[in-house]
Amino acid sequence: MPSLFSMDHLDRYREIVPDYPAFRDIQSLPLYNSARINTLKIERERLLERLQEEGVIFRSFDWYPLGLKLDSESPGKLLQNLLGQIHIQEELSMVPPLVLDPKPGECILDMCASPGSKTTQIAQMMKNRGLVIANEPSLGRIAPLRSNCERLGVLNVAVTRYDGRRFPRGSFDRVLVDAPCSSEGRERRGPGTLARCSRERSLGLKALQVGLLKNAMRLTKPGGVVVYSTCTYAPEENELVVQEALEGRRDGVDGEHSGDGGAGRHSGDSRDSGAFRLEKVKIAGLKECPGIVEWEGKRLREELSATARYYPHINDTGGFYVARIIKS
Amino acid sequence: MSPGSSRVRNVFEPLERSLITKLWQERFAVPEQEFSGYRFFRKAKSIWAASDVDLPALSYESIGMRIMNCKDRPWKPTTSALQVFGRFASKNTMDLTSDEAKIFLEGGTQSIESGCEAGYVVVFYRGDILGCGLYSHGKLVSQMPKERRLERE
Repeated sequence: MPSLFSMDHLDRYREIVPDYPAFRDIQSLPLYNSARINTLKIERERLLERLQEEGVIFRSFDWYPLGLKLDSESPGKLLQNLLGQIHIQEELSMVPPLVLDPKPGECILDMCASPGSKTTQIAQMMKNRGLVIANEPSLGRIAPLRSNCERLGVLNVAVTRYDGRRFPRGSFDRVLVDAPCSSEGRERRGPGTLARCSRERSLGLKALQVGLLKNAMRLTKPGGVVVYSTCTYAPEENELVVQEALEGRRDGVDGEHSGDGGAGRHSGDSRDSGAFRLEKVKIAGLKECPGIVEWEGKRLREELSATARYYPHINDTGGFYVARIIKS
Repeated sequence: MSPGSSRVRNVFEPLERSLITKLWQERFAVPEQEFSGYRFFRKAKSIWAASDVDLPALSYESIGMRIMNCKDRPWKPTTSALQVFGRFASKNTMDLTSDEAKIFLEGGTQSIESGCEAGYVVVFYRGDILGCGLYSHGKLVSQMPKERRLERE
């Protein structure tokens, strides 16, 4: 049960969240367990038969045939999970890979990969072909990432351990930045999460998130796609990050914010001077709210409304934010 | 430099595909072409398989999947590798009954009559590959890694 104090933190979103009382109320309702069917190991129909035979109660997501809500207290102990035929993964965590939309044979960077739920979903969407670089700076988080890849039968993932802000090189078809965040959207899964959240904490994370996203944009091929996602509501970690990264890329031309984007110019590095635009994020069957275009009295870029906010009381999920950026 | 030094340990050394396909052909009769979409590396005493693409020049923690351990003789296939490539095996495979599968998944040892040669075998149940077993003298010893075992009831 969230304390009154942590719920007060949510009050800063009163003006931007539709049906705010319902948004507050649902925070104390635990989230169901869910899993993704791993098509690298089993076909959907056969897996569903297996679960039925074992008496597991489940329901497919309305919007994604490979997603299942599981009525099981410890789904991690299901035989199907031990054999890598399913992977326990939160419903909305399956959204960013779909927005990234990787194709077999492409070269993808997953910049903040561990524990690999999205990495392995990307790998399966690519039918185990092409290459996914799964980057994870923390040594302690490499083992779970590798173990999930191996259990799920993934062969097209290579693991690196760079600070994503300084990931050195590459020319990727698509890059996913599922950034470290304050995780406000996880309260239903981990009660107490909100108690650790504050505007200051979000502002502190923003610098890291902008650094990650800017480097991701540099590492993407012209015509390529960058997806930025968090599981939090704070605009400081969402729209403001995307806005700053877009401006950091563009001010080489208009020169207005000379404090930041100048480094690329001076080093004569023209590879990353491409133009970027936002593309509408829309998953059929899942209701999103548009990214906000005003915060704390300041106007933001209109185009940020193409990004998507997912709220727990609207789809009965956790919370997520997703932006899709195209490099021209 | 000794093979155990850290520099050698940390390098993924490319391997000829035929070296690997020959071993899997001999032990499990997996046809060579089932490995055609992959490339292979050696790092320390392990063999790794990955999708057949050129890798960007980066420092890697792992590349693809660890498929074999060559520390001891005979070489040992990993559970993960058998779950991917074992379905192409036509030799040294074993189908378990429901009760036997349970013991195997719990990491147990059991007596089973089989025509398999002594050594590592691919263990099936209802068409799913459970993993790797060590078979000898009528006994099957489960090689399921601890974190992937069923809990004993």
